[in-house]
Amino acid sequence: MAVPQRSSGSRFTLAILLLISVTLISLDARGYEPLANLRKASTAILQPFRNIASTVFDPIGDAWKSLSEGDSLEKENALLRGQLSELLDYRVTTEGAVEELKALRTQLDLENLGGQETIVAEITARSVSNFDPYIIEIGKGTQNGIKDGMAVVSVGGLIGRIEDPGLRTSRVRLITDPNVNIGVLAVGTNEVGILSGGGINQPLYVLNGIPVSADIEIGSIMVTSGSERSPYPGGFAVGTILEIVVDEINLEKELIVAPTGQLENLEFVTVILYQPPSSEVGSNSK
Amino acid sequence: MSIVRVAKATLVLFILLVLQLELFANIRFFGVMPEIMLGAAVASGWHAGPRDGAVLGFVSGFLIDLYLATPLGLSALSYALISYVIGIVSELIAEDVEKIVRSVISLVGIVLGLVIFVVFGELIAEPNLYNKNFGKILVVGGLYTGLFIRPLHFFMEWVFHQNNYQNNQFAMSRVRR
Repeated sequence: MAVPQRSSGSRFTLAILLLISVTLISLDARGYEPLANLRKASTAILQPFRNIASTVFDPIGDAWKSLSEGDSLEKENALLRGQLSELLDYRVTTEGAVEELKALRTQLDLENLGGQETIVAEITARSVSNFDPYIIEIGKGTQNGIKDGMAVVSVGGLIGRIEDPGLRTSRVRLITDPNVNIGVLAVGTNEVGILSGGGINQPLYVLNGIPVSADIEIGSIMVTSGSERSPYPGGFAVGTILEIVVDEINLEKELIVAPTGQLENLEFVTVILYQPPSSEVGSNSK
Repeated sequence: MSIVRVAKATLVLFILLVLQLELFANIRFFGVMPEIMLGAAVASGWHAGPRDGAVLGFVSGFLIDLYLATPLGLSALSYALISYVIGIVSELIAEDVEKIVRSVISLVGIVLGLVIFVVFGELIAEPNLYNKNFGKILVVGGLYTGLFIRPLHFFMEWVFHQNNYQNNQFAMSRVRR
């Protein structure tokens, strides 16, 4: 078989392209401002076309979703109703339940989120990557007062934080992302632990910070700690403790936590327009 | 590349990008969506050869990178590389190869592209791209994208093939490199 002679031009072109790619990755990792602006500009430019396409294709996507997820949604709904019923029964029969229930009700009241200014935003898109499913897009941006790192809640509690807000749209990084860490404490205690995501449809984890002596029970509500360096205001419900595992080596309690915030089938979310007291907040340290 | 080809490629990539973002992102099998831009990169490698294919693969990856939370340039790097490889493979294969062979090679290219994306991502950029869903994404994502490989080849044929005939019938040969 005669093998075509390949010119060195193609190899040179490839080398240049790879060099450009690595340079872009490197600059992006360092937070190079023009690249962030390029992303925002491209989002703004394409948005009108995406809106038109969305009008056309949304019914197709909705039909597909109802076909593919109809049964699972019904089952999930029934399961959640059962869990909620059990949880409420548990609450009223447990000592100190009234205080905790009051705290829970405070968290569920989305009209008055601890006195913080809020803005409601429509979810405009889900993640467009198979490898990073922990993103949703909302239709509000910096022109609405949204800033990087602000907390996002849905019915039930915290679901994520703002990431790379554009002028009219923003991304929300969900708390199910394993890279996200949030300072939390159980209602009624002062022990602050670090809560991490466990992946899509998986519980959250608190692996560090809760000593074995801490008085924490299954069913307790975990809320944001609101510490000085946290981007989140304190007292927002994050999850309910499902299981407690004692780590006898580190003398800590590891908690498995079910998120209280609704993460599936969302149409709208609420952004808390809260700026942390300290501006030196790390990107992932909450 | 001639100006006409650049214009055609721009149009095709723009349409595919909008489709990827607004249609295919919402139509998922087992939570996995097709990687249409990767499919376009593979098809461009086949029809344009290693050099022009790599350029179009790079542009295709860069465009989708703008809308992903993964580092800018990661998809561009992966897609350029896989387009180049497919371009080389296409040069070694007879032009009148059966379409099923072309589709199988493209499918392998898509899967390889996903692997390259994750490997480079883990090595130089983004942690946690490799997770327990990786196998599912490879299999479902590869096959799902494979469903669209014939239309993608059709688009790229339209972009890259020269019409050597006096009348307006479509040329069936690959582009002269």
